[in-house]
Amino acid sequence: MIRVILGSLMKNMPFLFGIGFLAPLIKEVLVLWHVSLGVPPLAIGLVIGGTWGAFATWSGRWI
Amino acid sequence: MDMNVSSVTLPEDLSGLSSQDLMRLEKQIADRFMGGLPWGSISWGLGNLAVWLSLWPLTLSGILPLWIAFPIATLNVMLSYLPSHEAQHRIIAQEGDKLFWLNELVGHLSTIPLVVPYDVARLTHLEHHKHTNDPELDPDIGTKAKGPWHSILNSIRNRQPGSKASASYGATLQRLGTPAAQRAGLIALAWTGHAVVAALIWWLPRHIAQTYIQFYLSWAPHHPGTETGRYRNTRSFRSLVGNIGSMGMQFHIIHHLYPRIPLMRTPAAYWALKPVLEARGCRLDGL
Repeated sequence: MIRVILGSLMKNMPFLFGIGFLAPLIKEVLVLWHVSLGVPPLAIGLVIGGTWGAFATWSGRWI
Repeated sequence: MDMNVSSVTLPEDLSGLSSQDLMRLEKQIADRFMGGLPWGSISWGLGNLAVWLSLWPLTLSGILPLWIAFPIATLNVMLSYLPSHEAQHRIIAQEGDKLFWLNELVGHLSTIPLVVPYDVARLTHLEHHKHTNDPELDPDIGTKAKGPWHSILNSIRNRQPGSKASASYGATLQRLGTPAAQRAGLIALAWTGHAVVAALIWWLPRHIAQTYIQFYLSWAPHHPGTETGRYRNTRSFRSLVGNIGSMGMQFHIIHHLYPRIPLMRTPAAYWALKPVLEARGCRLDGL
């Protein structure tokens, strides 16, 4: 059971990294540079980080 | 006329020597550079870690600006591998020695910023020595590249989630859960409002350092990576950024011939052994 859960987590690690690290990083950078797009900065972070992470999970590459 | 190299007398012309005589001479010279405690590497490893660790409270408390901490952190991560490398070869102390604990301490602690477990680094590195440039068995063969720019691109490519080239290291590391543990640490920092600090003290420096380390420790001294055998699997080379800038890797051929010679003595050992290396047909590219 643990193996299945960990296996699934590892398989989706780029996506988790996208929403877990890149999203708050993007949010902090937006706040730091006073960038306002009319939506909460964390939402922008989650969209960009999540999409990028999903792309990396699907394609096997970040860039 | 004979040349005297640190009390070993070299005949001026080595071409007449048999392979056995050359080996005897080579070992006599190399022996002079082994032994003793490499305090430089010990203080480098522990001091470097102390500086990197101190960056966290200094930046989180606002004492040190991130734009100053970032290049320091990058340098720290770049410098974190080689002291562990000395320990991997038991250069600081061997098993059974009184100071073996110090060898292991430096080995385990110095690569913390790089997030490479000592045991994994040691096992894979010893395999690299045993099978240098072997396309099937050398764990570092993935760093083989056509030229310097290709090597940098290759290093970035090898770190992509789906890369097959890094599978030999990746499989071992994943078994130990290290990448997951590091990501968990980064995620925890990010969601507690320290994402930029985590990115500039750890994540980005680690990527820059990995590219640099793979370039100078793996690609450059083994380029073109096509030959195996004691005298041809590694080369000497002249680095554009000098010996310190390339972390002593210009003389990496000495390390492959005599892994127990401490890093800081490899330049002197190289110059002493150069006539023997020439007689053996080693690649001494421009050095």
